[in-house]
Amino acid sequence: MTVAWRRLERSPWWFAGPAVAAAVAFVWLPMVATFGLSFIDWSLLRQEATWRGIAHYGGTVANPDFHLALGNTAIYLAALLPLQIGVPLTLAFALVRVRARLPGRVYRTALFAPSVLSFPIAAVVWLWMFNPTVGVLNTLLGNVGLAPQRWLSDPGLAIWGVIAVAFWKSFGLNLLIFLAALANVPAEVTEAARIDGASPFRQAVDIELPLISPALFFAVVTTVIIVLDEIVGAVDVLTEGGPFRMSSNLLYFLYERGFRHFQFGEAAAVAVLIAAMVAAVTWAQFRFGERHVHYD
Amino acid sequence: MSTTTDTLTLPARARPSAGVHRSRRTAPPAVGQIALHAAFVLACVATLFPLAWMLRTAFAPPDDVFRATLSLWPDDPTLGNFAKAFRLHPVATWFVNSLVVAGAIALGKLAIALPASFAFGVMSFRGRDAAFGLVVGTMTVPYVITLLPTYVAVVGVGLYDTLPGVIIPTIGHCGFVVFFLRQAFKALPRELFEAARIDGAGPWRQLLTIALPNVWGAVAAMAVLSFLGAWNLYLWPHLILDAAEHKTLSIGLKLFATTGEQGGEWGPLMATALLAAVPVVALYLLAQRQIVSAFVTSGVR
Repeated sequence: MTVAWRRLERSPWWFAGPAVAAAVAFVWLPMVATFGLSFIDWSLLRQEATWRGIAHYGGTVANPDFHLALGNTAIYLAALLPLQIGVPLTLAFALVRVRARLPGRVYRTALFAPSVLSFPIAAVVWLWMFNPTVGVLNTLLGNVGLAPQRWLSDPGLAIWGVIAVAFWKSFGLNLLIFLAALANVPAEVTEAARIDGASPFRQAVDIELPLISPALFFAVVTTVIIVLDEIVGAVDVLTEGGPFRMSSNLLYFLYERGFRHFQFGEAAAVAVLIAAMVAAVTWAQFRFGERHVHYD
Repeated sequence: MSTTTDTLTLPARARPSAGVHRSRRTAPPAVGQIALHAAFVLACVATLFPLAWMLRTAFAPPDDVFRATLSLWPDDPTLGNFAKAFRLHPVATWFVNSLVVAGAIALGKLAIALPASFAFGVMSFRGRDAAFGLVVGTMTVPYVITLLPTYVAVVGVGLYDTLPGVIIPTIGHCGFVVFFLRQAFKALPRELFEAARIDGAGPWRQLLTIALPNVWGAVAAMAVLSFLGAWNLYLWPHLILDAAEHKTLSIGLKLFATTGEQGGEWGPLMATALLAAVPVVALYLLAQRQIVSAFVTSGVR
């Protein structure tokens, strides 16, 4: 065996090459291609590209369905951000104050359980509970003397049904993130605050909260990604964006334009817009993280 | 939730001294502890109720399914819903398809991520940092922006409506696995490899016989996380798989759901949902520590 062969055989590129190739082939190239696709007319049937400039962006921005999807995305975010931060944060602050170890672990396990399910599984379970005639939620309402609701077919209510499912299915993740962050808060810091006479509430808000602020920002990003990139599984199963597109969001709009109407150029333009929003939030998180490190 | 907040505002007077309790964080007094437990039991019951209701419906006989009831368990439980689900749709095939897709994606990601993360974490070579950036940078790319061209490519090479069409492009999204495993490899002491190098062990042997046995925890975490993620995939298999017998559980469920709204096959639907949920919940309970560590590092994926 020649030296050159042995060197080639030991080349690190045998190790790193496949991962690099996969990243380029399945992420970076498609990303560039989506960008290109957003400027042309092209379809699987008529594989001929016509340059359209920014017409797809213009058409999308002018489309009333897009406005609805954009507005609904804003509602999803406005509802889910406070829920997905506030509730897990309260639970995390409370959970680290549970003294008994085993119950604490049981609570954590139970609260996180829905988060390992997929959006479609979570969605069908709730679809059944939301059933207007025999669903358990209306049975519950009936038992306390309230009128039954048409949870998912009432245009004003449908989006809140999807929001409830998305919250149930994913708040556990932020709970874990907050618990991990709280575990890193030095015990002496809270101990000092306690000796100074700070109430547990003040300890949580004044001492622990600032120390775990990077985790808060991280949780904001995960929530934005859920709304922009993942919630489609719940929307599609629960409402298919309806009734009257009242629970559609940007991702569902993309899915409809691209894969129901096969308007790839338009769908690509929407994908670029969604990606730009995710990128903006991720970038803001990085900036915030950096500042926090310097501040420390 | 207000109960939980209230306990936090309780006065701190009656707290036992810190020396008695080895609790890391000072907890509210005993009354507060009871209120805390009460609040958490309530929160857990509310969280688990939908799952309990799925379980109940899955085992309830047809007439019991449509009864307005709040009892958590049917009077005479039956397996009839499972039998009916298997009659209505190719549920067994879906289950196998889900296993194949999730297993192949998890194995595939590990197969390309393990050597790469070893190279990035342990070896030094020209272009390493750029290559690492290229792979790990994919973590910041929202998956939706890769969707259309990948779909076109899969159709173009004739993999539409096949499991490989779902599996192969998904394996490429392994940036996080590489990132996580590289951390594990980097944490290993350098001397471990020096000795092997002196003995003449090549990098492949170093990876397989020295590095790998020391990072099993991290590998297991990534295997489980990738499996869960792939088992739960929705949009991508939904776009690629068309024929009923090619579907996975996650997307097959919708076939029931759409018929269910009118026809009301809720029992079989909940039985199928249970089949789809059991593997991931079981995996979660078995590998909780790995999953928690991986989830916390990863955020979502």
